[in-house]
Amino acid sequence: MTSFLLRRLGWMLITLWVVFTVSFFLMRSVPGGPYDTERALEPEIEANIKKKYRLDLPLTEQYYYNLGETLSGDLGVSMKKDYTTNRLVREALPVSAALGLLALALAFSIGLVAGVVSAVFRGTFADFALMSVATVGIALPNFVVAGFAIILFVFTLHWLPAAGWGSLDQLVLPALCLGAPYAAYVARIARTGMLDVLGQDHIRTARAKGVSPFSVVAKHALPTALLPVVSFLGPAVAGILTGSPVIEQIFAIPGLGWHFVQAAVDKDYPIAMGLVLLYTTLLYTMNLIVDLLYGVLDPRVEWK
Amino acid sequence: MPPRLALALAILALMIGGVIYVVKQGQLPPADFTFNNDTEVESLDPAVVTGQPEGRIIDELYEGLVRLGPKDREPIPGVAERWDISDDGLTYTFHLRHDAKWSDGSPVTAQDMVYSMRRFLDPLTYAEYAYQAWYLKNGRRYSRAARGVEPGDKVEVELLEQPEGALPFARGEVLRGELVRVDTDEGVDQETLDDPASFVDHRTFVVSIDGEERLFRVGDKVPAGAPDGAEPARQVLLDFSEVGFRAIDDYTVETVLESPTPYWLNLLGFYPLAPVNQTCVETHGPGQWTEVENIVTNGPFKLEFHRIRDRIRLRKNEHYWNRENVALETIDALAVQALTTSFNLFETGKVDWITKVTPLIARELFEADPPRPDFNPDAQFGTYFYAFNTSRKPFDDIRVRQALALALDRDEIVTTACAGELPALSMTPPGLPDYEAPECEPTNVQRARELLAEAGYPDGTGFPKIEILYNYEQQHQTIAELIRKQWRRNLGIDVATRNEEWGSYLSSQRQQKYDVVRRAWIGDYLDPNSMLDLWVTDGENNSTGWSSAEYDRLIQDAKAEPDAEKRLEMLAAAERILMEEVPILPIYYYVSRSMLKPYVYGWYNNLEDRHPLWPLSIRRDAPGPSDFMASKPVREITLKPRSTESAAP
Repeated sequence: MTSFLLRRLGWMLITLWVVFTVSFFLMRSVPGGPYDTERALEPEIEANIKKKYRLDLPLTEQYYYNLGETLSGDLGVSMKKDYTTNRLVREALPVSAALGLLALALAFSIGLVAGVVSAVFRGTFADFALMSVATVGIALPNFVVAGFAIILFVFTLHWLPAAGWGSLDQLVLPALCLGAPYAAYVARIARTGMLDVLGQDHIRTARAKGVSPFSVVAKHALPTALLPVVSFLGPAVAGILTGSPVIEQIFAIPGLGWHFVQAAVDKDYPIAMGLVLLYTTLLYTMNLIVDLLYGVLDPRVEWK
Repeated sequence: MPPRLALALAILALMIGGVIYVVKQGQLPPADFTFNNDTEVESLDPAVVTGQPEGRIIDELYEGLVRLGPKDREPIPGVAERWDISDDGLTYTFHLRHDAKWSDGSPVTAQDMVYSMRRFLDPLTYAEYAYQAWYLKNGRRYSRAARGVEPGDKVEVELLEQPEGALPFARGEVLRGELVRVDTDEGVDQETLDDPASFVDHRTFVVSIDGEERLFRVGDKVPAGAPDGAEPARQVLLDFSEVGFRAIDDYTVETVLESPTPYWLNLLGFYPLAPVNQTCVETHGPGQWTEVENIVTNGPFKLEFHRIRDRIRLRKNEHYWNRENVALETIDALAVQALTTSFNLFETGKVDWITKVTPLIARELFEADPPRPDFNPDAQFGTYFYAFNTSRKPFDDIRVRQALALALDRDEIVTTACAGELPALSMTPPGLPDYEAPECEPTNVQRARELLAEAGYPDGTGFPKIEILYNYEQQHQTIAELIRKQWRRNLGIDVATRNEEWGSYLSSQRQQKYDVVRRAWIGDYLDPNSMLDLWVTDGENNSTGWSSAEYDRLIQDAKAEPDAEKRLEMLAAAERILMEEVPILPIYYYVSRSMLKPYVYGWYNNLEDRHPLWPLSIRRDAPGPSDFMASKPVREITLKPRSTESAAP
C-alpha cells in the first residue's frame, strides 16, 4: 500500500507540473495583459509595472522564475489586488469547503435515499416520480433553481435571508441549490448500482435464508451499490470544495469559485495559476481517496 | 461494522463541527450603516487605484488638504483649515490645522503632504492617476523621470542602496546635482533610442554632484556597453524641489501650478491625492502596509477589518479632528457584484444603500405605484458615445460622419435599451453651472441622405460595409443592434457588429483596429475640460485619428486663460468644432441609479455621483423626506414605456 501511495504521489507531481506548464503558456498566449485599462498608461509607468512583475523578461525566463516560486510554496501576489494567492486561499477555501460539505451531505443523503427507494420499488409510481425529479434536477442549471428558491423562500414565505455569509440560515439556500444537481446525479447512479446488485446471486441467497428485506438492502446490497456513487463523489468533492461561481455570485458568498472566473477575466496570472494548481491537487487527492475507499467497500479490490 | 460506523460518525461530527466553526468565524453584529460597494477593492493605497469602489473607502479612510462636500462637491477644509490663492491663480498656500492626526495619534504635517505628493508622482509608485497632479509646475516632468530631464536641470539620482538607518521599504539614497549631459551608446539606432519603453537602456546620465561629474545608468546593473566608471541607479528624475509642491513650515504647504486651474481645489479633494503615512508605508512595503494590522490613515474612519470579497468594516477614527461631527460608529462596505443580489439585499433590509440597479429593475422602479421612497435617479457627469476611426475610409469624410450622426434616432435607443438615461447631443453632459454645451444636430434623416449622396454614396450605393465594435455586455449589444438597424433603415448602408472581450476590445481601440467603436467617459472633475481634452491631436485617449489644429489651440489656450468666463467660452468653441466634425457621436448621458433607505440623512444626489459617508446619519424617527428624496433631479427624467420593437425593413 505504501508503494501504491508513493507512486500515486509521484504521478501527482508530474500532473501538477504539466498543468502548470500548459496553463502558464495558455494564459500568456491570450492577447492583452493584467494592465488593460480604459485609460492609456504612461510609457514610464507601464514599463515599471512590467518590470515589477517581470513581464518584460522573455517568456521562458518568466516560466522558470514562476516555477521556482511555486515550488517554494509561494503562489505569488495578485497583479490586480492587494492580497497574495496564499491569503486568498486561506480565507476563501474554508468558506467554499463549508458550503460544499453541506451541499454534498445534502446531495449524498437525499440522492442515496431516493436512488435506493426507486431501485427497490422499481417500476412503481414512486420510482417514476423520483427519477423524473432527478432528471429535472440534472437538467435545470442551478441559477434557475436559485432564482425560484429565492422567490419562494425569501420574498414569498420570508423564511430565509436573501444572501450573505455569517450565519447558518444564510447557508441553507445556497447549499440546497448547490447540492440539487449533485443529489439528482447521486440518485440516478445509486439506482443503477442498486438494480445491478439486487439481481445478483448473493442477494438471492440472503433472501432465501430469510433475512428481512431491509437488512438485505442495507447490509448486503448497499455497500456494493455504493461503489459507482463513491467514484462519482471523488471529482464532485473536488469541484464542490473549490466553490461555484454562479451560486457564490447569487448568494454573495465569499468563496473561491468567483475568483476562478474573475482571475481569468482580469488576466491575473498568479491567482489564476494558484487556483488551477489548487484544483488539480484537490481533484487528484479526491480520486486517490476514492481509490482507497474502493478497497474498504469492496474486498475484491487490492491496491497495487 | 461498529468500528467502521464509529469512524463514519466521527468524520460526520468533525465535518459538522468544521462547518459550524467556519460559519461562526463569519458572524458579526450588523454595522450602523451598510452599503454595497459593488466589488472587491483593488487596494487601499490611494495612489494606485482608480475605481469608484476604492474611492468610496479611501474617501473615508484618508483626508487630503481639502475634502469635497456631499451636496455640490464643493471644496471644504480638510487637513488644511484655510487657504490663500494668489491673484494670478497660480499659487495656493494651505494652512494646515494643528489638530489633524494619523490614526496612530501622530500629527499630520506639511512634510507628510510633500512625501505623499512626491510618492504619487514617482513613476515607481505606478500611480495611474498621476496625471491628476500634473497641473503642478513640473509635475509631469517629474513623473516622466529620465524622459523629463534635460541638461542644465537640477536632478535627483536615486541609488539602488538605501541610506543608512532607513526603513526597510524606503527609497534608495538620493543624490542631488545638475544634469550635465546625456550620452547615448554608440551603434544604437534612433528608433530604439526614441522608444519610451527602452529609453533608459542606452543612455548614460552625466550628473555634476558637489562639483564632481559622475556617470549613472538606470537599471539594476551597468550593461556591458556602458562607459567606464558608470554607476547603477534606480532612477534619474527632476529634482523634486523644482516641482510646485513644497512645505514652507510644518503646517504650511504651497502649491504652484503650471497654469491657472479653476478646479485645482476639487482635484486636491480627489481621493488619489490623499496623503499616506511615510513610516507605515516604508516599514511594511507595497501590498503589506494596507493590511489591517499595519495601515495608518488620517480620515474620519479607520479600517477595522477586510475580508476578501465579503466586506470591509470601517470604524470611527477616535483621532480624527472633526470626530464630533461624524455620526456613524461603524460602516460595512459589502463586495456584492451581482446587481440582482444587491437589490435583494436592499429589499430585505440588509443593506442601506446600493449604488446601482439593473436597467430592468430600474424600469419597474420608475413605474412603481405608489412612487418608491428610496429611488431618485439623477443626472451624472458621463457620456456614452460612438467614435469613428477617422483614419479609415469612409470616415475621413466629414459628410459621412455627419450623415451617420444625423441618421441616429437617440429616442429609440434610450427608450428601448436604457432606463432613464437621456439622449445626448454633446460630449459634455449638461448640469455644469455657467457652461452650456454646444450640441450636434439632432436627427434629420432627409439631410443625412443628402450628405451621404454628396459624399458620393447616393442611397448608400458604393458605401463599404462598416462594423461596430463593442465589448461584450448585454446593453452594448442591444444598442449596437439598434444603431445597425437605424443606419441600415435610414441610409441603406450595410452595417455589421462585432464584440470583443474587454482586453482585446481595449487594444483594438488603441491600435485603431475598428470602424466605429462604442465608448464612454465619466468626467474626473466637474469641468468641460475633463470631457474635451481627450480629443486633442494624438491625445492618449483620443484613438480616433481625428485632429484639428484649431481645437488643439482652443484647449491649450483655455488652460492658460485666467479669466473664468473667457476660459469657458474657449472650451465651448472647441466643443462646437467637435460637434460639427463629429469624430464622436454622443448617444446618451449617464444617470445615477442609487437606492437609499429613507432613514439615511446627509446623502445628496450630485453630478459626480460620489457620496461621502462621514456626513451620514441614521434617523429612523425623522418625518422625511430624506436629503436624497428631497433633492429635485437636475432635470426631469421621464421614461417612455418600452416601445414595441419597431420592425426593421
